[in-house]
Amino acid sequence: MRRDFKKDKKAGGRKKFFVRRRKACKFCVEKIEYVDWKDVKTLQGFIPERGKILPRRISGVCSLHQRKLQTAIKRARAIALLPYATD
Amino acid sequence: MRLYDIVVVLSPEVAPDQATALVDGFKKILTDDGAQMKTEEVWGRRRLAYPIAKRREGVYYYWQFEAKTETVAELERKLRLSDDVLRHLAVRADEELRRSVKLRKKREAKAAAKPKKAPAEAAAEPAEPAEA
Repeated sequence: MRRDFKKDKKAGGRKKFFVRRRKACKFCVEKIEYVDWKDVKTLQGFIPERGKILPRRISGVCSLHQRKLQTAIKRARAIALLPYATD
Repeated sequence: MRLYDIVVVLSPEVAPDQATALVDGFKKILTDDGAQMKTEEVWGRRRLAYPIAKRREGVYYYWQFEAKTETVAELERKLRLSDDVLRHLAVRADEELRRSVKLRKKREAKAAAKPKKAPAEAAAEPAEPAEA
């Protein structure tokens, strides 16, 4: 068994690095130019449990839309549509 | 005149008829100064994402209107003075709107240019063997 495992590793050296699918920006895909701060449902997708803004390295949002998303979330927070922080 | 988005959060303790009177008062400030209401929505009672002044709920109102800067400044001053207003947010909407229209045009132009490019490439390819 162990030898098999070793062999597999050697043979499929490339397979170890599985192909990571490139994340696409949700707003670019759906062709949304304006990130609406009133649209809580969409914004909520970028707010993990802790209430922080999801970094774009994780969400895959492009820099332009991340900047828009950022202001939208901050505006929504100001009127208590979204939390600043939660425990 | 500029386009504004505004959200007002009222305290849930205000009686409904009192709330409408209050809201009408705010709207009067706008209309008296020549502002034009574009959209008006009552989102109603919503749970606040965090407690404000020991309240867990708020009554939300949303308006979109065209008004002068001074008019909005006056409205915001009144909103701040009122104890029944938990929160308010007034932001310019015309700039963002213009930007998004521009972006959309840019994207459409790009999409229109793409199929044009493909035949151009196809035309260039048969030309190459002729050169050789």
